[in-house]
Amino acid sequence: MMPIWTKSGKKHAVTLLKVQDCHVLRYISKEESGGKTSKLLVGGKNASPFFKSESAMEIFKEAGVPRKQKVTTFNVTDDAIIKPGTPLYAAHFRPGQFVDVTAKTIGKGFQGVMKRWGFKGQPASHGQTKTHRRPGAISTNKAAKVYRGKKMPGKMGNIYRTSFGLKVWRINTKHDIIYVNGSVPGHTNCLVKVKDSKLPTYKDCNKNPPFPTYFADGDEKLPEDLYDEEIFQFTDPSVTY
Amino acid sequence: RVSSDGKPEKFQPPPKPVIIDKQKQREERRFLSPEFIPPRGRTDPLKFYIERKDMIQRRKVFNIPEFYVGSVLAVTTADPYANEKASRFVGICIQRGGKGLGATFVLRNVIEDQGVEMCYELYNPRIQAIEVLKLEKRLDDNLMYLQDALPEYSTFDVNMKPVSHLSHEEVPVNKLQVRMKPKPWSKRWERPKYNIKGIKFDLPEKKMKEAQKWSQPWLEFDMLREYDTSKIEDKIWKEVSEGL
Repeated sequence: MMPIWTKSGKKHAVTLLKVQDCHVLRYISKEESGGKTSKLLVGGKNASPFFKSESAMEIFKEAGVPRKQKVTTFNVTDDAIIKPGTPLYAAHFRPGQFVDVTAKTIGKGFQGVMKRWGFKGQPASHGQTKTHRRPGAISTNKAAKVYRGKKMPGKMGNIYRTSFGLKVWRINTKHDIIYVNGSVPGHTNCLVKVKDSKLPTYKDCNKNPPFPTYFADGDEKLPEDLYDEEIFQFTDPSVTY
Repeated sequence: RVSSDGKPEKFQPPPKPVIIDKQKQREERRFLSPEFIPPRGRTDPLKFYIERKDMIQRRKVFNIPEFYVGSVLAVTTADPYANEKASRFVGICIQRGGKGLGATFVLRNVIEDQGVEMCYELYNPRIQAIEVLKLEKRLDDNLMYLQDALPEYSTFDVNMKPVSHLSHEEVPVNKLQVRMKPKPWSKRWERPKYNIKGIKFDLPEKKMKEAQKWSQPWLEFDMLREYDTSKIEDKIWKEVSEGL
């Protein structure tokens, strides 16, 4: 995570996400998947092909791509279908766009009710006998049962969570890095899924994105760094009022 | 000439002239700002490389001078609510923290009998100028104990004239021993954890011995805490000097 300053002098914290060897693996049509939209399978970071069975490796062989560590599905409209085997780059996103980021949160193991659900616990002194971090009462007398989903101790973390509506500040096309506002679930160097934001406030925010995606061998030659309009670039002189 | 014995004196050759090559001295003394050195961790070195590019880019446009903890600096910041849209603060640097673009330094001064500490970010674009009024080092890396020292040690004239320092000479170390206000202090500075050499402790021997109870003499031999930065520093120094 890094600080970033705007032209008005405000500071924002920014997370760096690297797009590492992403390829489209397979196209699944609407009828095949049985959903409302067609799907595209996308694979992430390259990994060794020796630790998986032959049947799992079939998808990668069809697409002609080395084995990927993570495979995710994206629901896609029919006019945005991409041929399997095309590489995807960070320039697929543009600065000023809003994005949702999904990842597995840091696993904390088996945790008590105070850390996991934020319960207040009990006082440290004034006669409490062996009760300082316990949940206390778990149901009422009339209910005569414990409801499903009652907050209790258990394994915390290591589940998929999404941060919605994160602004993209800057894109580095040379190293394929996206600078995303705020924090993102997951530990450092973990695998992360980045999608266009589904929030209704940001529905009309994507002004002319590269559609269906940014092709590296196309005619468009992008500069090494793409900045949002409000970012203070370090080539400019200091901010004045 | 005749010596006291009466025999002729043995020929003494004249002393050889000592040539101080000033250019070589200048090259040997190199200063790499501490925020360039990446902390020990599992982050991808690519992240530090990109951050360094941004830092070098900022240093090309805006000059960040060499300074240490204990030197007196004057910082002018752009302020939308000030009269001339710029505010100037003079103080002694008591702490340099943070790595990369978020590196900060804390300046302390006593203005009209009120101690003031200002924390500035080195790469904040609102900073208009950083001037080093007096370049010197102190015996410690962290001068936070000046908060509990007598106020005369933290007062610096706001209109101080810059003290000239030749670039090839070594940075002078001020071996000042600071006198403290009576206890209680904000932190127990006599404890070996802080390892402070710049205070003149007037505490009785008993208290000093009791403070040594908290010493951890095994820490300096702990191999898992070792972080050798010499090779990393060489690489980063080459990168930075090529960039600037």
